Amino acid sequence: MKATCWYGKHEVRVEEVPDPSILNPRDAIVRITSTAICGSDLHLYDGFIPTMRKGDILGHEFMGEVVELGSEVKNLKVGDRVVVPFPIACGKCFFCEKELYSLCENSNPNSSIAEKMWGHSPCGIYGYSHLTGGYAGGQAEYARVPFADVGPLKIPDGMSDEQVLFLSDIFPTGYMAAEACDISPGDTVAVWGCGPVGQFAIQSARVLGAERVIAIDCVPERLTMAANHGGAEAIDFEQHDVMDALKELTGGRGPDACIDAVGMEAHVHGAIGTYDRVKQAMMLETDRPAALRQAIMACRNGGTVSVPGVYGGFLDKFPFGSVMNRSLTIKTGQTHVHRYMRPLLEMIQDGKIDPTFIITHRMSLDDASEAYETFKHKQDDCVKVVLTP
Amino acid sequence: MQTRDRVNLMQVDRWGYVAAGVALLAWGLRRRGVLGGSAGGMAAWLMYQAYTGNNPMFEPLDIRVNRQPSETDAKETIIVEDALTIGKPREEVYRFWRNLENLPRFAPHVLRVRVEDERRSYWEIEGPHGGSVEWESEITRDTPNEEIQWRTTAHRKITNFGSVSFRDAPAGRGTIVRVHLEYVSPAGSLGAAIARMMGRAPQSMVEQALRSLKQLLEAGEVATTQGQSSGRESARTH
Repeated sequence: MKATCWYGKHEVRVEEVPDPSILNPRDAIVRITSTAICGSDLHLYDGFIPTMRKGDILGHEFMGEVVELGSEVKNLKVGDRVVVPFPIACGKCFFCEKELYSLCENSNPNSSIAEKMWGHSPCGIYGYSHLTGGYAGGQAEYARVPFADVGPLKIPDGMSDEQVLFLSDIFPTGYMAAEACDISPGDTVAVWGCGPVGQFAIQSARVLGAERVIAIDCVPERLTMAANHGGAEAIDFEQHDVMDALKELTGGRGPDACIDAVGMEAHVHGAIGTYDRVKQAMMLETDRPAALRQAIMACRNGGTVSVPGVYGGFLDKFPFGSVMNRSLTIKTGQTHVHRYMRPLLEMIQDGKIDPTFIITHRMSLDDASEAYETFKHKQDDCVKVVLTP
Repeated sequence: MQTRDRVNLMQVDRWGYVAAGVALLAWGLRRRGVLGGSAGGMAAWLMYQAYTGNNPMFEPLDIRVNRQPSETDAKETIIVEDALTIGKPREEVYRFWRNLENLPRFAPHVLRVRVEDERRSYWEIEGPHGGSVEWESEITRDTPNEEIQWRTTAHRKITNFGSVSFRDAPAGRGTIVRVHLEYVSPAGSLGAAIARMMGRAPQSMVEQALRSLKQLLEAGEVATTQGQSSGRESARTH
């Protein structure tokens, strides 16, 4: 089969590789009909996530048709159309029973590597380094899906791939980020980063009752998208001082909740931006947390900072004094996707939200290499790429 | 949880350090100069470690030495301990482990276990270079649903002994399985430290065994990526 493989920093190619096979009784094999490139795939593309190996198959946002089932998968049949959640979860352990699926204790075969880096291990994730299991990903023609009796969601007839594909990651991720803000009537939510997760966080904050949503980015098309589809007020951080603008927009108090949908590769100008770039290049810090620092400083006293953005390791100049002295709450985590798939599918069916607005590029899997470049450099107003084998 | 004994060198290591220290010192005295001076300093450091029995570089590797093991046939042992919570009733976890022929399903490098009788069993273990090693194991105490103790010999020499205990986790959260293993390290603490860094030490095997046991009992299978496809074996890889 054809698969998108990682060979190093900025080196991704579609290669011919062996077809996947059933390795465990609860596995399924899915023939992929649609897959997407996630913003977090760019952290792999840019070489910032450790423990990648040459030849790893990328991709954790995918859906398709079941073509083969392990002996223990009873709830699916060959031919079912399914969307696959990006965290791999057994459904039986302490954390799965608490619906904290991305903390599954039984799905990461490399948990000892993760324990060295993070103290304890999260779940396995498709195509996302050997820290999270080294599972082959879904930017391919076929994928092996472990614990297929727990993860994949059957898609009702009549719904298109594009309507449901983002249930695999970014829609639930944006939604969980907004839900973590515990929005009350009258609340203002500020969102750093208007990439796909930021866009879904903005829409979800609206659905959950936010009075106002403020979008912060420097890409005009993305700010326009946030305004047109999410009714957000825009702050272009290249034109305005974000702290001043937020104070002004919120009557001096600051947003009730702040969402960092940027993560470890924030772009920022000035001395602190240079500081982070130099330290990251010298491997003295693993992440460039400019957006997170600003989200913390901007948040109102007693407010919530919600972090769907991906971080990998150790952060510098982290303003924890601001968190402590101002009673802030930080909520974060890899998304517990399984918990959100069904309710969000219903939301799509009811027409409350149409996830297709995010797609700017439709390309063939064969062109994955080019698609990564386009997405990375936001060429041609690229926000989201969907690949079809 | 035991308090950490500062001693993490075995007798064989300490004599080795003394020998190396004497050799370095002799060389340093002959050579003199900066190089000779640093050799002398190195020698002093090795002798100091031999005297205290503690190499601080082994501490992060969690190397612990028991100088008076309960099995007197083993003069000195390296201690391995680990615990994990498994979300199944104590009786079930005990029963699964007590049927020793289940062990190859979750313990890494255990190829086969043949149970002889209530107490004795024969084990075939994968060796470091593809060969295999045989063990004879004897259960020295068996308290159903609570604890199993064993002692293992190869060619009549003791290789390891230990216990696995099963306790209820609070509030019905399953069973806390705790392994205490002591093994004779033929290459001393240095050998154990090297094996630990290579990921082949008994410490990592015990950790892996407990994790796989948990996966097998809770999820019904051991998570794996062995045999999945990648672009590493593709024809066009360069």
